[in-house]
Amino acid sequence: MKVSRFFIFAIIFVMILGACAPTSPEVEEPAIDAPAVEEPVGADTDALCANDDYGCAVIAPGQTIKIGMGSPMTGGNAAFGIDAEQAGLIAVADADDLYGFQFELIAEDDGGTPEGGAAVANKFAADQTLVGVAGHLFSGATFAALPIYEEIGIPMLSPSATNPDLTRQGSRVFNRVPFTDEAQGAAAAEYMYDVLGFRKVAFLHDGQDYGKGLAEIAAATFESLGGEVVELMGITPGEADYSPVLSTIAAKSPDALYFGGYTQEGVVLTNNMKTSGMEDVVFFGCDGTFGVDYLSRTGANGEGTYHATPRTPPETPKKDAFDAAYIDRWGQAPGELSPFTWNSYDCTTALIEKVREVAVLGGDGSLYIPRGALVDAVRGLANWQGISGTYTCAPVGDCNIEGPTFWIVENGEFVAVN
Amino acid sequence: MESNLKSPPKLTRRNYSKIIRPIFGLLVFGSILWRLYEVLIAQQAYSAEIWVRLLISGLIIGGVYALIAIGYTLVYGILFMINFAHGEIMMIGTFAGYFLFEATKSINVAAEGSPPLSFSDAYPLISVILAFLVGMTVAATAGFFLEKIAYRPLRKAPRLVPLISAIGASFFLQNAAQLLFSPQVRDYTNPQAIARGSGWSLIINGSRVVITYTGALTFILSILLMIGLYVMVQKTKLGKAMRAVASDKNTAALMGIDVDAIISRTFIISGALAGAAGVMWGLHNGLVHFFVGFLPGIKAFTAAVLGGIGNIPGAMLGGMFLGLIESLGPTALGISYQLKDVIAFVIMIVILIFRPSGILGEVLSEEKV
Amino acid sequence: MNKEIIRSSSQKGLLFGIVMIFLVLINFHLMASTMISKLMGTNVLRGSLPEARFFIIFLVLYAIWVGWSAASREGKTIHKLFEGLFAGLIAGLTVALFGLLLFYMLETQTDIRKYLTALSFPSMRFFLLDMGELGILVHFGLFTLLGLLGSALAVGLRSQKVAHFKQGVKTAITNLRLRITNALPESVNKYGKYGIYLLLLVILFLLPTRWGSYYNFVFGMVGLYVILGIGLNIMLGLSGQFMIGIAALFAMGAYSVALLNSPIPHGLMWGFWPSLAVGVVMAVIGGLLLGLPIMRLRGDYLGIVTLGFGEIIRILLNSDLLTDITGGPRGVQNIQQPTFLGTPFNDVMYAYLIIVAMAVSIFLYYRLENSRTGRAWLSIKEDALVAQATGIDVQKYKLLALCVGAAFAGLAGGIFAARNQFTGPNDHTLMVSINVLSVVIVGGLNSIPGIILGSFALRGLPELLRELETYRLLVFGALLVFMMLVRPDGLWPASRPDLEEKGSPGLKEDIEPAEEGRSND
Repeated sequence: MKVSRFFIFAIIFVMILGACAPTSPEVEEPAIDAPAVEEPVGADTDALCANDDYGCAVIAPGQTIKIGMGSPMTGGNAAFGIDAEQAGLIAVADADDLYGFQFELIAEDDGGTPEGGAAVANKFAADQTLVGVAGHLFSGATFAALPIYEEIGIPMLSPSATNPDLTRQGSRVFNRVPFTDEAQGAAAAEYMYDVLGFRKVAFLHDGQDYGKGLAEIAAATFESLGGEVVELMGITPGEADYSPVLSTIAAKSPDALYFGGYTQEGVVLTNNMKTSGMEDVVFFGCDGTFGVDYLSRTGANGEGTYHATPRTPPETPKKDAFDAAYIDRWGQAPGELSPFTWNSYDCTTALIEKVREVAVLGGDGSLYIPRGALVDAVRGLANWQGISGTYTCAPVGDCNIEGPTFWIVENGEFVAVN
Repeated sequence: MESNLKSPPKLTRRNYSKIIRPIFGLLVFGSILWRLYEVLIAQQAYSAEIWVRLLISGLIIGGVYALIAIGYTLVYGILFMINFAHGEIMMIGTFAGYFLFEATKSINVAAEGSPPLSFSDAYPLISVILAFLVGMTVAATAGFFLEKIAYRPLRKAPRLVPLISAIGASFFLQNAAQLLFSPQVRDYTNPQAIARGSGWSLIINGSRVVITYTGALTFILSILLMIGLYVMVQKTKLGKAMRAVASDKNTAALMGIDVDAIISRTFIISGALAGAAGVMWGLHNGLVHFFVGFLPGIKAFTAAVLGGIGNIPGAMLGGMFLGLIESLGPTALGISYQLKDVIAFVIMIVILIFRPSGILGEVLSEEKV
Repeated sequence: MNKEIIRSSSQKGLLFGIVMIFLVLINFHLMASTMISKLMGTNVLRGSLPEARFFIIFLVLYAIWVGWSAASREGKTIHKLFEGLFAGLIAGLTVALFGLLLFYMLETQTDIRKYLTALSFPSMRFFLLDMGELGILVHFGLFTLLGLLGSALAVGLRSQKVAHFKQGVKTAITNLRLRITNALPESVNKYGKYGIYLLLLVILFLLPTRWGSYYNFVFGMVGLYVILGIGLNIMLGLSGQFMIGIAALFAMGAYSVALLNSPIPHGLMWGFWPSLAVGVVMAVIGGLLLGLPIMRLRGDYLGIVTLGFGEIIRILLNSDLLTDITGGPRGVQNIQQPTFLGTPFNDVMYAYLIIVAMAVSIFLYYRLENSRTGRAWLSIKEDALVAQATGIDVQKYKLLALCVGAAFAGLAGGIFAARNQFTGPNDHTLMVSINVLSVVIVGGLNSIPGIILGSFALRGLPELLRELETYRLLVFGALLVFMMLVRPDGLWPASRPDLEEKGSPGLKEDIEPAEEGRSND
């Protein structure tokens, strides 16, 4: 019976392999070969694609132009991914067809992990009609995904990956709209020292790369200005009670508590401060804690706290229209799930606009999108007016290098202070 | 067949743990003592009110851990399985309480013409009792069905199989909650009378230490529930039956005990306790979302093992102990709060090295472990 | 008798009705209709509604299933038909009441998405088949009639004749196989195994070049979990040590390769191969350090300690304390790629590397299992006291099992880090340990084919389920429970009778016979 056992095993194995193989979509022809396909294409598209560094994405009639998005949609950070997808879907719904081709948002779950990021990137890379990625949301996933997009020429525009190293690598395809930690952290420290006159500040972060980078830079700047950093500590994210940490910090009687992290922890910290002997200490948040969710969940405790945004979110009609559409379609207010709603909309919209700029309708009715030109076009974003701000991409891919706006909570509303 | 050999025959050439254990223990205890000396005596960095605050928050969180840990222990004592989805049962209880408070909040009981007054603000006691009843009932129901669907068919399977089934159920419940209620983090709407953050003030060393109403409620209620459970297990017929089933299913069945029914009831009881813990969690911490059960679940499991899994007083002790370590440990040792779980786990490992069946765990016979 | 029929079938109907309501509350009816639509060749854009007719197809299938499962296996035909009809009726009633509620909410424009996020107006309208109140009737009618149809189908397909036919086909296949085996000369049977190996080898050699980078990636992930699963199986399946912290050992391998091959933070460029060796050694040291103090622990206490160990390592990797060494939450980037004859590895090369690593692991596992050491492990697992009495150094062998298992985990970790060119603390969470544990149990303890199948099921399946978008982990969780219920001994149980202790000692006698029946090798 030994033989039959191996036999069955082998058959099943082969069947599984075989079942997977044919379903792989047109991967045997990488994008560079696309022009070689013997089809009656217009001469201009032929030359265009041949001269492009990465070749063309060819979208046949009936197919859609796909924009990818990689974000955690399950697990503890699911709120970020779901929010980004919901905003992105509205961006796609707002976009008009291009020569009769529809745009489609493909949001995939990367769990926020590097492993998931690489999986999603490989899936996107295998799809001929996917031309840009609004993401990934988390830096770890972005790191693992980046080399794959780099190879095939898919431009990225991330709404929230803030790790400074991402733009230090000299990547051609990676761009992002959020702040760099340097810009915000330094500005926050200066604001606390010069304007608010704090001399003793405790710095907390959520132990993840965004918050940690921010708090560390802020603390370093604050110290160099002459202030006293009474504490620089990480906390465990996702917990519901931080009063022990705060009680310990209260013993060092700081003027303010700076926090680098997101709304969830920010809200818990703010609420716990009132019962931990830090009633008189000012909570100073960052752009991760800015949002209506913070206001509604801290209530009176949130009064007098400071936060930051990339720049005055312009109260343009476009933003109002988006907010209305978001509430209408999803039954939640934008910003309730994560602070990156508007960024996600902007990233998707910007990518769609850039696709419009470079796409060419071929003689055969297919749409030709030169990938290299698209990559350069996204990097060339200049004075682009989104609903979360105006963006100009620096040569390294940081599209938001101006200083932040700080906000104070007064009577349950954010009021800009600079 | 039970061979109660406490020390196995020493036929080994070398007994590694004999050398390693004292060294390891000495190292860990030595460094703990050194850190304690540094913080408490040499630096005297923190004054009394800080310690009181830490103690209070440790006791509160410890009470919640203990309640959840009892659920693990009850199930383990009878089925020898780790109910990995127990944290999700707590999450369901938290959501049930949340919806009840939302409902009572929306009922206006004010007289004509006077400003609106919601039911929960007008009758805080009734709405809190209702919330606990609803939370416990819903969680108990969830526990009942969980056992019926995911575990009962596996009664005779190898021991690790129900564990995987439980992991699957945990995935399912978590994602179902995410899809039903969205991944949003919501706030519990407490009745005004027990708003979060309000409480009795103590003045220690001239500074105010708050004992919140919700915290006191959490702590006292969890102690009461634990006492109630202990009395039930020790004194009532059901408790006797549960103990009988835990010690030997076949014999219990021969004595006319309906084993399946007892197991079902065990899940109902552990679900109800988890539901109560969930509502407490919501009232005190204010957060409810689909992932709310994951961390407390893991922590409480740790607490149950720490106290000696299968042992009810052990779970209570383990829960309280873990809560206190988490709260006091980093400060007492002068270590970053980022590492509080590391401290908790290291202390747990050290305790288990010297008491391999937990603090109160019986020294199990070789067969049973 | 009739009362019993009514009771059971109304229970079934109610259950199915409630499940349907649950599916609507999470918008799964949209997802299912989208899937059906795609299967039938009509693409549906993400975020847009499919056509209502596809939902009707879903409803039809669901309602037939209600009747099918309500019809009992034994009894009179008329009873079965009645059961199907009645279950359908009850399910239809439940769903229709729910539909009525939705209709009312639509009419009054009640928006409760604050609490139930999926209940949007388009989704409600879709559930009512875009027909308003008529949709409620359609639901009711469909469930009732198709419940009857379902039970009729059950009566027909479960009849004696069909069973005979099935049996006949089965016998024919067995006969055919036997005949082929007998007809072949002895040598073919003897060496057939090698022929199959060769075939497999050729397929494995050809596939990575043929099926594109995405499937290479998924396949690689599966392969790495096979290696991890083998490592865990040595600890859990062979020597009986309950380990939930394998992610820590995986992390040791991954971080060794990462830190020794990346410009930041240390700028060491040792190259892949030496650092892979370092990774394996580090993992073994990790296993040793973990194992030494906890040799006395067993069962679930061992499990929780190893879980704690895994968490400790993850938190430390992420902490401020070790940021200078490990890169902290930012992880390690730009990991240098291994080269083969001067060219850096691409996805095909990685697939080959993983295949080779997998093959080596499997080979080593078989050698170990059948060696003196393997026997010693198994005897320790069965009864440590008896093993000790027969002169086996229990602690030494337990430690050895931990170290050998750790070596496999380190190997997988090293390849993993280099392949992703990045690794961070999020790659080494508790979920990794739980996944590996599930791989081994779902596949079948002590069974290599089982572990391979388990890896496909646990790592390949979630990737293939990507079409289900946010529902994929929900479906995955349900499948996990389902797999365990249907195949509690694993997808491919080991041929050797599993001697692990079952539940409480008292239940042991009940299990033995079933065990014997399964192990028919």
